[in-house]
Amino acid sequence: MNFEKAITRRESIKKLLRVSGCLTFSGTTAFATNSAESGRPATANNGFMVEGVGETSDYDVKELTRKTFEAAGGISKFISKGDVVVVKPNISWARRPEMAASTNPTVMEAVIELCQEAGARKVRIADNTIHDVRRCFALTGAGMVAKNTGADLIYPRSSLMRRMKLQGNRLDIWPVFVPLVEADKVINLPVAKHHSLSVLTLGMKNWIGAVGGRRNKLHQDIHMTIVDLAQFFNPTVTLIDGIRIMTRNGPSGGSTSDVVQKNTLILSNDPVAADARAARLFDRKPEQIGFIKLGQKWGLGTYDFQKLVRKKVTL
Amino acid sequence: MKVRHLVWLRRITQILFLCFFLYLLIVSRLSQDIYLNYSLALSTDQDLRLEQPATFFFQLDPLVGISSLLSGQTLIKGFLWGAGIVVLSMLLGRVFCGFLCPLGTLHHAVGTTKPALKGSRMVQANQKTSCQRLKYFLLIFMLAGALLGLNMAGLLDPIALLFRSIALAVLPGFGTALRAVFDALAASDFKMLSMLSYAGEVLVSPVFGYTHQAYQTGWFIGLIFLVILFLNRIRPRFWCRILCPLGALLGIFSRFSVLKLEKYPENCTHCNLCTKHCQGAASPKPDEDWETAECLMCFNCYNACPEDALAFKFKWSFKLNRQPDIGKRALLGGLLAGVAIPFMGRLDGQIDKISDPRLIRPPGSLPEESFLELCQRCGLCMKVCPTNVINPTLAEAGMAGFWTPHLIMTQGYCEYTCTLCSSVCPTGAIREMGVKEKINQPVKIGSAYIDRGRCLPWSGNAPCIVCQEVCPTSPKAIYVRNDMVTAPAGKKLKVQLPYVDLQKCIGCGICENKCPVRGLPAIRTIAAGESRSLRNQILL
Repeated sequence: MNFEKAITRRESIKKLLRVSGCLTFSGTTAFATNSAESGRPATANNGFMVEGVGETSDYDVKELTRKTFEAAGGISKFISKGDVVVVKPNISWARRPEMAASTNPTVMEAVIELCQEAGARKVRIADNTIHDVRRCFALTGAGMVAKNTGADLIYPRSSLMRRMKLQGNRLDIWPVFVPLVEADKVINLPVAKHHSLSVLTLGMKNWIGAVGGRRNKLHQDIHMTIVDLAQFFNPTVTLIDGIRIMTRNGPSGGSTSDVVQKNTLILSNDPVAADARAARLFDRKPEQIGFIKLGQKWGLGTYDFQKLVRKKVTL
Repeated sequence: MKVRHLVWLRRITQILFLCFFLYLLIVSRLSQDIYLNYSLALSTDQDLRLEQPATFFFQLDPLVGISSLLSGQTLIKGFLWGAGIVVLSMLLGRVFCGFLCPLGTLHHAVGTTKPALKGSRMVQANQKTSCQRLKYFLLIFMLAGALLGLNMAGLLDPIALLFRSIALAVLPGFGTALRAVFDALAASDFKMLSMLSYAGEVLVSPVFGYTHQAYQTGWFIGLIFLVILFLNRIRPRFWCRILCPLGALLGIFSRFSVLKLEKYPENCTHCNLCTKHCQGAASPKPDEDWETAECLMCFNCYNACPEDALAFKFKWSFKLNRQPDIGKRALLGGLLAGVAIPFMGRLDGQIDKISDPRLIRPPGSLPEESFLELCQRCGLCMKVCPTNVINPTLAEAGMAGFWTPHLIMTQGYCEYTCTLCSSVCPTGAIREMGVKEKINQPVKIGSAYIDRGRCLPWSGNAPCIVCQEVCPTSPKAIYVRNDMVTAPAGKKLKVQLPYVDLQKCIGCGICENKCPVRGLPAIRTIAAGESRSLRNQILL
């Protein structure tokens, strides 16, 4: 869709009819079932969170990922046969995996394999990186994962960035990385790490890697733009990689001395809850982190864990 | 072997070598599908390297080897290939020009596919003239200059010139045009057209670059290339006859050649076909003396002669060929100019007084004087750089360093874990090093400073610290302090203010590249503090 182009009268009438029709339909169903609380009932009501923790010294990361998904009801709960799935890791920096600046490639590989087992037609890895993307693919291990699993690596070329209406508080029209909006299912696969401006970078902040344009301007109101992007990219599920976390010098890191082993995976369909739980890995209170607090305020989810179905698996 | 077969052998060899040259040029980049085995990541450091021998043609080129030997007193990697070409010329004459040189092949193709001159005018154009001494002048000028420490051979060396022209002008030019088409297609609302544009981009980007490639003075490099190609309309292979210093060098060695043009004047009917087809203006006609040093060994005359008045034959008797027509003026003039140029090049004070702050050399570059002794200005480092940050200089390195590489941080930045440019430099002007060395030493290429008037938090306009976020060192060379500043409306604003720690800053320029203030960013990189120069240090 091209939002820069003027809309014709006929189109606008069509659209209005379509929208009003949808509204009437959903309104009546809501009235009939009396269950719709907000625009996002799914996350608000059926919110769940699974923590996978590797407690033994030689646990298998891949196994932990599988167990975590199983505890949430299995991957087939999220991925249907024939889906085009896009996995959005955080591979912004051309750093080796042990620096914890990027999503753990073993976790990524396990998730992709799960999707393929669930019958996904195509699995794609997409991230608009900060460093040169070819070097990011190579050094973070994403290239190797793609080679091992047969997933597609999507190269963030300029023609794949298309201006879209985000309808956020701060962001109105912004170039978006097209594969992420064209996918049937999106799995957010961030790594948990320190960030100098937003305190932490977790699941919601990962969407900054899903847009193009002059992203460095987003820093001027980082928390609000994170929430704006998180409401636009509503993922099927978020899996935060806390196997290794970067506790300082983030988000780029560059030294293994910045890295702490936490051996934790956090899986949730509530983006705010997932981030809030991951913040605890850094001994931070969720309400002290701007975008988590704003996320709850704008109804993206909750950091009140009592409202969620919680499970924990250990290995 | 029949003559006709010999000519075809030449043509096929020419095409093969031109294709090989273009192939090596195109693969001088990081491909999209580079995979590393990340299971090794914890134990080893795998440096990203090209798999193909990207510098092969530079090793093959004896002018690169000899000029580096004279100026830098070093033997370049693979210099034996060049030595082999010298030996080959001593046996067979300028076969490199006729069979191998990719630039020569281009000229040959341009001059032959649509000859500008016909009949007797072509015969006239192919007479040997004293203009052809110019190439000896250029050769002597460059070698003398090289001996005194300024290696300018790469400006006119055919391999360096062709590489630079294609990599920095021809490919980016076509790439820009193609990308414009694809972007237009991608913006359309028809699904078919957008898919077509994605497919097209996937197909062309391995050749034309994954991003929009731009190079300072790229248009000028392209213009010179076009002019040199156009000169073939005045005389066939104008460049090879009159300008090419490598041709002159090989011509001098060809004096010992045992493959000689035998002439049988008694058979000659003065039809002038040999001269008409001569590529080098080497006087092939039986009643003239064969100019061995001008002969490009194309075998056209041999092939064209209908009367068996000419034949190339091996003669092992120790008799030198006709000596190259260098001329006293070219010799003396070349020596004089060669002696003068290294010192003229220092008149602007770039080397002896203070160098331009924008002269940020690629990581691993030798100290400036040694750098100018070895750099061929070929553009290989600029071609392989994944961020397009390495650009040819215009005035940053002074006259002596025209078209040598330097980093323009508004175009790209130096990737912290990349040492690709150092691995491909044909002469070692950028010495090879691994990522470990680059990070642990650390190799500094400059240092960053903040322009507080432009900086968003410092000027009280907005929180930002993008520079601190992208700073790649650990711990970061840019640190922040919490402070209150006065916003434009007089309100107090709580911000993080960025500072640069010069001890840690390596000058990679990613802060300048990612700064939201465009054009003249609020944080900029200068060459001061670069580790290759003792004099350019800032801290004690």
